Amino acid sequence: MSPRVCQIKALARLSVLELYRRKDLIVVFVLCAVILLPLMVFTPFGVSGASRYVNEMALLLVWLFSLVIGLGVSARLFPPEFESRTIYPMLSKPVARGTILVGKYAGALAASVSALAVFYVAYGLLAGVRQGVWFPAVLVQAFVLHIGFLAVVTALGLLGSLVLTPSANLTMMGLTVTGMLFFGQRLPALAAAQAWPGRTVLTLLHWFGPHVEFFDLRQRVVHEWPSIGWEVCLAVLVYAAGYAAVCLMLAAFAFRNKRF
Amino acid sequence: MEVVKLEQVSKTFGTVKAVNGLSLTVRQGEIFGFLGTNGAGKTTTIKMLLGFFRPDSGRVSVFGQSPGDPAARRAIGFMPETAYYYPYLNVRELLAFYGGLCGMAKADIRRRSGELVARVGLEEAGGRLLRHYSKGMLQRAGIAQALLHDPDLLILDEPLTGLDPLARIQFRDLILDLRRQGKTIFFSSHDLSESELICDRVAILKQGSLVWCGAVGEVAGDGQQNLERIFLKMLGDAPARATAGVPEGEDRP
Repeated sequence: MSPRVCQIKALARLSVLELYRRKDLIVVFVLCAVILLPLMVFTPFGVSGASRYVNEMALLLVWLFSLVIGLGVSARLFPPEFESRTIYPMLSKPVARGTILVGKYAGALAASVSALAVFYVAYGLLAGVRQGVWFPAVLVQAFVLHIGFLAVVTALGLLGSLVLTPSANLTMMGLTVTGMLFFGQRLPALAAAQAWPGRTVLTLLHWFGPHVEFFDLRQRVVHEWPSIGWEVCLAVLVYAAGYAAVCLMLAAFAFRNKRF
Repeated sequence: MEVVKLEQVSKTFGTVKAVNGLSLTVRQGEIFGFLGTNGAGKTTTIKMLLGFFRPDSGRVSVFGQSPGDPAARRAIGFMPETAYYYPYLNVRELLAFYGGLCGMAKADIRRRSGELVARVGLEEAGGRLLRHYSKGMLQRAGIAQALLHDPDLLILDEPLTGLDPLARIQFRDLILDLRRQGKTIFFSSHDLSESELICDRVAILKQGSLVWCGAVGEVAGDGQQNLERIFLKMLGDAPARATAGVPEGEDRP
């Protein structure tokens, strides 16, 4: 194993260990279980068609929890290192700053994806029990695209962790991502209806904001629509990789000029 | 051989001149004390030695290389003044993490961790999470991480902070042992008596400038010319008394 891979592995392992030992994740898992299980097991009002709404709510919760975990982990990547001064021994080792960024990012992404996998497996099993269809292709695609979503979210969180406090980072990135998730597709129409400067702001957001709505296959999963083409999935994942790469480059610039 | 070389190094933060035209060299195998009051520029100099930032002017080299290059830092071990290491790890996991950053093989990390944990006296507390460690125990963990990859140059920033008397003696023995192995030690401290005991040479910094640099052997052992008196004289706190030959101890609190 090359030294750089060794370094990235060590940094990534640190983030994963932190997530599991801080017990934040356990709280999220318990919340998820408490909310998901009753939703998925019982049929509301005895109406069989209501199961779609139940599934929609369950998936919305999975999205919200994954956003909380992704941003929560990535927003804490650097501030504790600065506060507790562990950044100094870390930087004194023969490791490039770029490698530190990549390692931290890999760790945050791995930690978030591991939690996401638990959510999707739970959802898949419960939905399978109810509907008799086990892990359809569209659910697998939803999971794959959700990983792309986390790739973007953790990159944004990492960038924010170098320039903002954790709470400011969580608030700003949380609002941006949630806003884009619900209104991203409608931004051009919203911009057209605005006067200057609102139009310019919304247009800029449309071009430079993270289009996380690309990763959202909830409707297809809930309504049991056919899966999308894998080439479309790939294109969206390329968008995620590109957006994350830009965030990492900006983070590298901020990290290089950071005064310790 | 010159391990550390600073040539006319200056660094300014805003309107504050943290380091001003500092030149000094540290030779292989010596224990070099870097002394000065708070805000004298010791930590800024150390950060430049580690390549955390570049000087505004002048040149810094470690083993003839720029410390900004990660490869140059392979031969450096650094212990910061007070670091609150990852509270959710135990000391062996902490060393495994730093070993990974140094690109060490797993077997080497395991072997070195075992040796160092015993060496710094943390064997019994090895399985406990660092959040349960006292300040002194964290300092010991800090020494262990600095020595993990067997560096030729050890840079220690206020290493005695938080150590009890027994740990200080163990630390002193460790430093002297490392010198016997041919390692170079550069350490900043406020502790003049400890510096006088273990350092071969010391440099005194005042407001970012070097005011005195010399061998401790030249000044120690003489009641009129110990390190404390030189320190006070150079910092301008008690020049008249120091030069007038006030007996040792009289001007001490």
